Amino acid sequence: MRTETASHAGERTVTIDTDGRVDVARWLALGCVLVLTASYVSVLYGVTQVVGGSRSLLAIVGLSLAAATVLAGLIRPRTAAMVAAVGAGIGFAYYFTSAGVELGTVLTATDQLVSDTVALATGLPLLRMVQAGTWTLGFAPAPVFLSWYLAARGRYAASVVPGGAALGFLVLTGDAGTPAALAGTLAAIGAVAFGDLRHRGGSIAQADLLAVLFAVTVALSLSVSVVPGEPTGPTHLTQGEPGTLEATIDSAPQRSGISGQVDLSPEVRFTVESDGPAYWRTGVYDRFTGDEWVRTGQDRRYDGQLASPPDSTETVKQTVTAETELGIMPVAPQPVELGGEIARRTTVSRHGQPRPETPLQPGESYTVESAVVDPSPAALRAAGTDYPDGITDTYLQTPEDTSSAFGGRTDEITAGADTPYDKAVAIEDALESTKRYSLEVSQPSGNVAEKFLLEMDAGYCVYFATTMTQMLREEGVPARYVTGYTTGQQIDDDTYVVRGLDAHSWVEVYFPDHGWVRFDPTPSSTRSDVHTDRLQEARANGNDDADTDESADVPIDGNDPGTDEEPRDGDGSDPFDGNGTEPNDPSDVQEPQNDTEPENNATNDTDDPETSFNGTTVDGGDARSWLERPSAIARESVALGVVALVGLAAGARRTGALARLRREIGVYWHGPRRDPDRDAERAFERLERLLARQYRPRRRSESARAYLTALAAAAAECEPPTDPRLERVLEAYERATYGGGVDRAEADAAIAVVDDLARDRLPVIGRRE
Amino acid sequence: MTDANPTPDASTDPPTDGDTLRIDTVERLCDDIERNVADVIVGHDDAVEHVVTALLGRGHVLLEDVPGVGKTMLARSIARSVDCSFSRVQFTPDLLPTDVTGVNVFNQKTREFEFQPGPVFGNIVLGDEINRAPPKTQAALLEAMEEEQVTTDGRTRELPTPFTVIATQNAVEPNRTYELPFAEVDRFMKKLRLGYPDPDEEAELLGRTVGDHPIESLEAVTDRETLVAARETVSTVQVAEPVREYVTLLAAYTRENAHIGVSPRGTISLLRAAQARAVTNGREYVIPDDVETEARVVLGHRIKTNGRERDGIAVVEDALERVPVE
Repeated sequence: MRTETASHAGERTVTIDTDGRVDVARWLALGCVLVLTASYVSVLYGVTQVVGGSRSLLAIVGLSLAAATVLAGLIRPRTAAMVAAVGAGIGFAYYFTSAGVELGTVLTATDQLVSDTVALATGLPLLRMVQAGTWTLGFAPAPVFLSWYLAARGRYAASVVPGGAALGFLVLTGDAGTPAALAGTLAAIGAVAFGDLRHRGGSIAQADLLAVLFAVTVALSLSVSVVPGEPTGPTHLTQGEPGTLEATIDSAPQRSGISGQVDLSPEVRFTVESDGPAYWRTGVYDRFTGDEWVRTGQDRRYDGQLASPPDSTETVKQTVTAETELGIMPVAPQPVELGGEIARRTTVSRHGQPRPETPLQPGESYTVESAVVDPSPAALRAAGTDYPDGITDTYLQTPEDTSSAFGGRTDEITAGADTPYDKAVAIEDALESTKRYSLEVSQPSGNVAEKFLLEMDAGYCVYFATTMTQMLREEGVPARYVTGYTTGQQIDDDTYVVRGLDAHSWVEVYFPDHGWVRFDPTPSSTRSDVHTDRLQEARANGNDDADTDESADVPIDGNDPGTDEEPRDGDGSDPFDGNGTEPNDPSDVQEPQNDTEPENNATNDTDDPETSFNGTTVDGGDARSWLERPSAIARESVALGVVALVGLAAGARRTGALARLRREIGVYWHGPRRDPDRDAERAFERLERLLARQYRPRRRSESARAYLTALAAAAAECEPPTDPRLERVLEAYERATYGGGVDRAEADAAIAVVDDLARDRLPVIGRRE
Repeated sequence: MTDANPTPDASTDPPTDGDTLRIDTVERLCDDIERNVADVIVGHDDAVEHVVTALLGRGHVLLEDVPGVGKTMLARSIARSVDCSFSRVQFTPDLLPTDVTGVNVFNQKTREFEFQPGPVFGNIVLGDEINRAPPKTQAALLEAMEEEQVTTDGRTRELPTPFTVIATQNAVEPNRTYELPFAEVDRFMKKLRLGYPDPDEEAELLGRTVGDHPIESLEAVTDRETLVAARETVSTVQVAEPVREYVTLLAAYTRENAHIGVSPRGTISLLRAAQARAVTNGREYVIPDDVETEARVVLGHRIKTNGRERDGIAVVEDALERVPVE
């Protein structure tokens, strides 16, 4: 059975063994290696789908497979390992040069290599890497080549090592999801097992144990995932209870998810003493995967310096006091200096957004000094498009699978706009006027921005901001997605109480020589109505957390300053209000625009958030996604179910349950007739089981004839005696087993006798009295 | 001491092709012999059948029992039922090997030594009370039984075909008998015990003693040629793989569970006996039941046990009880 040793170069594997039978185990093993390869390549492909380069990845993987197939017969394993190492070296050198490290220093840049690898291996998702696409392209060829090379040489166990290592690494980074990890693990087990089976000359029928193992693995992995209280991330860094708006937009430090229906938490989060109102920013995200936002790059520790925008005319000082435990650090953009004890344990993202390393405790406070970017629309129109490379590299990313319809609609909307500023205003207007504000939406599958622009007609700030950011990027305008809180309730001249329901997300657009300027495409008046209703309801319910000592006495004003503030001007002549520092913001101008039709719809949907959050009202967008979602689940379940069923069947076979069942059925049904001898033997076996039920089973040392004779002797004493026709079955059996065989007629006669006897003994049906 | 019985009988079927006979012909032949013998021997149907199958399976039979249960009569009845040469050797302590094999005698007329064949030159040889002779004389039978030839004074002579020894031995008087060498016992296909007849049978037996002894009127039902052909037929009986495996397992069991187990000669004998048994039941193939029927008498005397309480038969019984039938 073992047809090749693969110990010498040039010795090719043989696919047909000496018997001429196709070597099933070999093909299964190769298939498993392919599935393993596919499992981690699919993860990498998912990354390139987001950051670009998926075609290059497929080309590289294809080339690696082809090269491995060709070289499998030509070079020794050691050479192949060196080829893979050199390939990996070249790939990573390319990555480092892309990452800004000089080629000459690549070889000495072991610190960065080590720290990057450690960061990845300790859970840094690939998508957080600035050069994720390049890294992916550099990473892919070595394991693909080496594993396929070894597999082609018949060394399946060895081939699992590079493939498994690659998959394992992606599991550590957190990029490989459960399906990919499960498929890869099963494939790895399968490759080793089939390879071993083949080398030991085992029969493919022995693979049933493997199927049991697969089923157990699947069952275990499923049972692990249904363990209650499964955390989705470091919870101490997450604000708000699961399901609230805050939680979904700030679910984990490096990601901002987009979910379906959300709740509003009326709890007070923090109070701000500020010279003026502002949006309190807590997170900046640059990479969009289609269903969530990712912040790329490593955080660094705050060292007293934050980049200040190029066009800062004035600064605003804030003192923020946490009212609950706070894993975030709200600041007015753009922060330039932090004060307070917390500043010593603060990290700063690549985008200049601070974040506490450990949560702020209630009562703890810090000060922030923020630079106000306050250019006029005219200045912004004149800003031009001379973007720095660092900005275009990071803030123009769109998922590769974004459809052309999305770009087409964006082009229509921005048709009359020439400058980035005008484009931004046009998009903002279009979204505000055509989409309703509603918290009860079902999360669409696929690209959220695309679905929101083209299919959905209602959403909340996450949808508005995401879509606007993507549309701007589609138009070549660098933009980023920002999360945080609106101004909150003003309870004093310079004091603002900010609650969970003030959580918000908006857009920042980059203008050369000015920096990041805020745009908020969310219809503000309906939003504040919804949020005010929620707070009043909470107060009515006596929710103590909903107010501070001061804020409770102040009547809630639906137009509380800042909340409905819009960072734009209606006619484009007023100074642009970049950071909400001007109390007399132009919200009045903007109000009538979306006050008419969207408002009416919105109030219908949102006047009672608590009841409508039950999900009983489903609009058109929801219905679509409800239709799509079960099918996606079903496909996965079917695949897992098949594995489990195969395992169950194999286990049943192993334990003999299947054989027992078949025997049980076989008593009453002869099954397909084939060889007369075999049929005669089967007829007697059936007879034997019938008699075993009625009298006693045949002893192993008892011959067929002796058994029947003994039964006949026993039956002669009591009624009814054994059927004389038994002799015919016995004779057919003996002739088939020991003699020259029986012909068709004899076998059929024997079967007929047994069929008759079986029918007589069949309970209820067919009994002939 | 010797006695020939050349009585031809034309009533039996002649051999069809001179080679083999049809199965049913042989089956009928066996029935004929058994019925014929039953005229003389009352009861002991099993023993008679065993002797007949041994005759067809080219084996020799050792009848062991107390005196007077009809051992010699059984042997003589069988011999008379077949029209072939029959000789009888009465073993005594002073019997010499040449008394069995024959001796070179100086012919005064031709002035040459002439070989005077002993009683062993017969188709059916009755060795009566074989254990009364010393081992030296018993050994004279060894070569004859196994190789169907006799060597005297350096010259080897073929024995006639068929050649079957039916020996009897006395189970009592252990002081005045010589125990048969194990090697010689192994050469007997079967060792049978007759036992005392049932009261009914004995009553009938007594009834038959009135008048002439029935054996005097016994006529042959077949002849030598038919017997040879029948033996050829028996040797063509099919033994399927499961049966061979069953025999192997039985032998293996005895080897593991006794001091000396069954020899390969024993398993060959068992198969031959089973073949003959299959024919007497009208089958052209052996089934495990044939093996089981023959196993006790074929294997029992070839097994040497340590203890007194378990004899060879018990070991065979165990084997039949434990070894699975395919």
